[in-house]
Amino acid sequence: MINLKNVTKSYEINKNNKVTALDNINLNIKEGELVVLKGASGSGKSTILSLIAALSKPTSGEVMVDEKQISKLPDNFASIYRRDNIGFIFQKYNLIPTLSVKENILLPLVPLNPDEEDVKEKLDAVMQRFNISHKEDAIVRNLSGGEQQRVAIARANVNNPKIIIADEPTANLDEKLSIHFVEILRELKASNKTIVVATHDPIFFDLDFVDREIKVHNGKIL
Amino acid sequence: MILMPEVLTILILNAIFALFAIIAFVLSIKIFLKWDLSSTSKSQYKLEKQSFLTATIIKYIFVIKVPLFLFFIFTLDKISTVLTGAMCAAGVVDATQYGTYLLILKIINIYMFAFWLVLHSVDMKYENQPFTKTKFGLFILAFFPFIIELIIEVVMFSAIDVSKMVSCCGTLYSSSSTSYISNIFSIETPLLLSMFYGNFFLIVLFYFFKNRYLYAVANIFFVIISLISLIVFFGTYIYELPTHHCPFCFLQKDYFYVGYIIYIFLFIGTFRALIVGFVELYPKDKDKNYKISMLFNFLYVILVSAYPAIYYIKNGVWL
Repeated sequence: MINLKNVTKSYEINKNNKVTALDNINLNIKEGELVVLKGASGSGKSTILSLIAALSKPTSGEVMVDEKQISKLPDNFASIYRRDNIGFIFQKYNLIPTLSVKENILLPLVPLNPDEEDVKEKLDAVMQRFNISHKEDAIVRNLSGGEQQRVAIARANVNNPKIIIADEPTANLDEKLSIHFVEILRELKASNKTIVVATHDPIFFDLDFVDREIKVHNGKIL
Repeated sequence: MILMPEVLTILILNAIFALFAIIAFVLSIKIFLKWDLSSTSKSQYKLEKQSFLTATIIKYIFVIKVPLFLFFIFTLDKISTVLTGAMCAAGVVDATQYGTYLLILKIINIYMFAFWLVLHSVDMKYENQPFTKTKFGLFILAFFPFIIELIIEVVMFSAIDVSKMVSCCGTLYSSSSTSYISNIFSIETPLLLSMFYGNFFLIVLFYFFKNRYLYAVANIFFVIISLISLIVFFGTYIYELPTHHCPFCFLQKDYFYVGYIIYIFLFIGTFRALIVGFVELYPKDKDKNYKISMLFNFLYVILVSAYPAIYYIKNGVWL
């Protein structure tokens, strides 16, 4: 499903300052697998996620998803790939604060120009699933952290993507809400989504439904 | 040098274009020589980023350069008002030894630049960008006539001497002229019209048979025959003067700027045909280009034919 082969990613801040975020890593994630990437801040976890999501390109090496070399996709095709395959859950939710819950959730559907009935069906299903229906018309900035997180999860799932990517999803949540998020993750895993979570939150470690925990350190997989 | 605001605009734009085109040229050579999409090396990823940047630079140069041709003609027309003897752009073109060459080069370049733009837009529609090497190769080739055009343009504007008397279009485009252009008047009108309508008939035929190569080749001939027939025959009906053959005067207000419409129709019609013939397109895009080409060629034929037809209906005689 997801295959990273000899991937190196470095950021050149200037000629004398080059940061190697990933150093010749290899990673294979199977369809339906839930993988937790763990490691300290700056270890390269988020860079792996951004490569899988085609948000950035490697400096060298291959990133394959479903036998497709996504690291070679031109920007416009990378956007289509993301739209059709990836659901993002960010640490800071990345919602548009002035829009309502409903509008935020529907954003990934806008480029697809679906018919109204289809939109309503998807919206209702996803809001119900993540228990946010009662806040449908509320403006997002007025919601609590946990509610915003649920909106973000609903948005990530409205397109029914094959891959869910979560970058430090519990960093802004208290313990109770973090446990709730873990339960949502369990449910997503049950629906056969391929899930990659980057975190250093111990709540994700040793969970029975997590297939693999991978330690990332200084741009290398240990 | 004649320093009118329009000339200054062209000169400033030329300087900007030259600067960016040189940068794009250097990068294009690098991309053309080293491009290997199957490679996942550091240098290939770098080239992919550079190719996007370079293509964007070239795209914006050409996107401005193509319509700028009309502005160039408009400028020549404007200059004609200050040149003694000149009645329209034709006098300005003839005012220096560079004018005619510049005009011919500009017409060739406009097709080449527009071709590059289409090639680029098609290339961006495919995931594996199959025309990347071709489009940068084409730019490397186009760079030289492009730079030559900019240089000749500057030289031409520098060489215009407002105190010098120039010939008017009535002298330049007449059968009694000694210039090379007078040769076209030796073609008999019935033969010329047969060639013009016969060529258009072939275009229609190849359109229905969907023979893309013959369709494109017929359109290349159509450009040449159309320009000759416009000067020799159709133009006289636009002016309603049997001795006036200028291909520029009908760009003026007196003729409701109809020349711009005529040339735009001819350019779009024939240019789209070249795209059909020489670029491998998605079937949907190919069909669209076929239709646009046919439509504009048809509009061109209708428009130029309307003038003699209306003249005959009004007066009962031909010129």
